[in-house]
Parts: sequence; C-alpha cells; structure tokens
Amino acid sequence: MRRLALALTLILPAGVQAQDAGSSAWDRIYAVASHPRCTNCHVGESGRPAWDDLGYAKDSVHGMNIVAGESRIGAESIPCRVCHISAEGANNVPHAAPQIDEAWRLPPVELAWRGKSSVEVCQQLRHPEANDGFDMAELAEHVRTSAFVNYGFKPGAGRNAAPGTTEELAEDLEIWAAAGTPCVGD
Amino acid sequence: MKLNVNGKSHEVDVEDDMPLLWVLRDELGITDVKYGCGIAQCGACTVHVDGVAVRSCQLAAGDVDGNVTTIEGLGSPSALHAVQEAWIEHQVAQCGYCQSGQIMQAASFLDLNGEPNDEQIDQAMSGNLCRCGTYPRIRAAIKTAATKLQGA
Repeated sequence: MRRLALALTLILPAGVQAQDAGSSAWDRIYAVASHPRCTNCHVGESGRPAWDDLGYAKDSVHGMNIVAGESRIGAESIPCRVCHISAEGANNVPHAAPQIDEAWRLPPVELAWRGKSSVEVCQQLRHPEANDGFDMAELAEHVRTSAFVNYGFKPGAGRNAAPGTTEELAEDLEIWAAAGTPCVGD
Repeated sequence: MKLNVNGKSHEVDVEDDMPLLWVLRDELGITDVKYGCGIAQCGACTVHVDGVAVRSCQLAAGDVDGNVTTIEGLGSPSALHAVQEAWIEHQVAQCGYCQSGQIMQAASFLDLNGEPNDEQIDQAMSGNLCRCGTYPRIRAAIKTAATKLQGA
C-alpha cells in the first residue's frame, strides 16, 4: 500500500495529491463531526439536545424534557448551567452532568449536524456564513482552544469520546483548507 | 474558604472539590437543602448562587463565585417569597422532600421568565423530580406566583 502511495506521489501532479489529502482529511473531520459526542449538542431548531450513544434507546433526546430554546442556553426555561456548572471539572462520575470552564450551551443553529450527511456538513463548514463566521485558520484555532471541542475528546467517566485528538482535528482542518476545502460532488 | 450563605458570612475548612451541598448540610448545618441523587438528575439540592438556580451537588465549594441562597434565605415565615405563598395556597407539598428544590428552581425560573406558558413551566421544572406526583399543583402554583410577581 505504501509503495502504491509512493508511486502515486511520484506520478500524480501536486494539485491532485493535495486534493486527495484534503478529501481524506475531510473524511476524518466528518468522523468527528458526526460522532454523537458532537452531534448530541449540534442539533437543529428544536433546541433539544440529544443523548445518542449513551446507552439509552436509539435517537434519544436529553432526559428531563430539556430544551435549550432559541437562546440555545435554556434562558427561556432552565439554563444549561443550572446542572452543567461553568467550571473545569474532573467529570469522573458516570451519569452526572459534565462540566467545563465555559458556559454550557448549544452551538448556533446553523451548525446543526445531527443526522446530516458528510456532504451536507462539508458544505456547512467551508462557508463562514454557515460555520459561525470562521475562516479556515480561525476554525483550526477554535478547535485547538475551545473547551467544548476539548471536552468532546476527553469526556471522562467512561463516556464515548470523539475519535482522535484536538490537534489531529486542527491539522486535518488545515490540510482540508490547503486543498481548497473539497466536498464530494464539487 | 469564605462562603456567604443566606446573608451570613461563613469560614469553612473544606477541600475545594467538596460539593456545595455537603458544605451546606454537613459543615454549616443548613439542612433545608436536600440530597437526592448526587448527579444532577433530580433537582432536590437546588439552591441559588447570585439568584440563579444551581444543583448544589454538582458545584464544588471552590467554584462558588457568589452569594448562596437556600430556601431559608428565600423568604421567612413572616415574609414569604411569592413562590412560597403560592405553594401554600395550592397546598403543593405532599411528603415535601423535593419541595425546597422545586421552590428554588421555580423562583429562579420566574426571575428569568416572568410570564411563562405551560410548556415553558414544564420544561423548566422537568429536572425536579417529585415522587408524590405533585406536578399539576406545582404548575398551578408557579402560574399564581408569576401573576403575583407581575403585580408586585
């Protein structure tokens, strides 16, 4: 396999190689973006966080009738931070409310990924108007520094973690950006 | 560390990661706040920090960054909070174990949303469990309290 890759490196133009590397990087990015640890909060207009892949039934929504509302922080009913404390925690107690040093909330609705295909999320992430206003360099930086993203990879207490690390995700975003943010169907 | 609870300053000698719930109950003897589950699944331990509801079983003592209020500090028998008045009016409590958490959650909720509809009340209060099933009375009392607070 490595010989084949080497042979391709020698015979394919640099642009095509970057495109392939970008597409591979995207596949790894989508493996993170589609992981329940991420999609449980990257939900749509319903504002209902999910509890997928936590050992409950398939397609579970957050227990206790939790709705984060239009505010995305639960301001209309019960703020997320009532249970998800805004302070770094060990998160070592199963089934307790995870906490990080940031106000727990849902991402903006335009970043809804739950149930979406690789192409759909790809189209969302490469456009600043659909990715919360980030250019690619800012997006990689966000991934490296966000307490939320970091939590997704280290959720603690036996919880399923998103695949890889924050650094690997940031590097994949940079590879994908260098390749021109390719999406399937371009 | 120093904690302000119900308007009084306390010096407590505890580990930073001790849940506020246990500081209140075991160190300060303030037992109106109840232990139910210890993992933010039941709401019995709800208190306020600077007026905002928080599950005290989840909040480490070292992370408390404001004045703590338990139901003893919300109102007194001679000057009840509107939510406490409404609770009596509607005879909400049965066994009563969850009720201090329910009232603290309701009071904080009405601070955020003064004119809630039934759906918002249900969403706000669904994290507070009541084994006696007093939910219809809880909802009715919150509506009464909202009306009282609007007129205040």
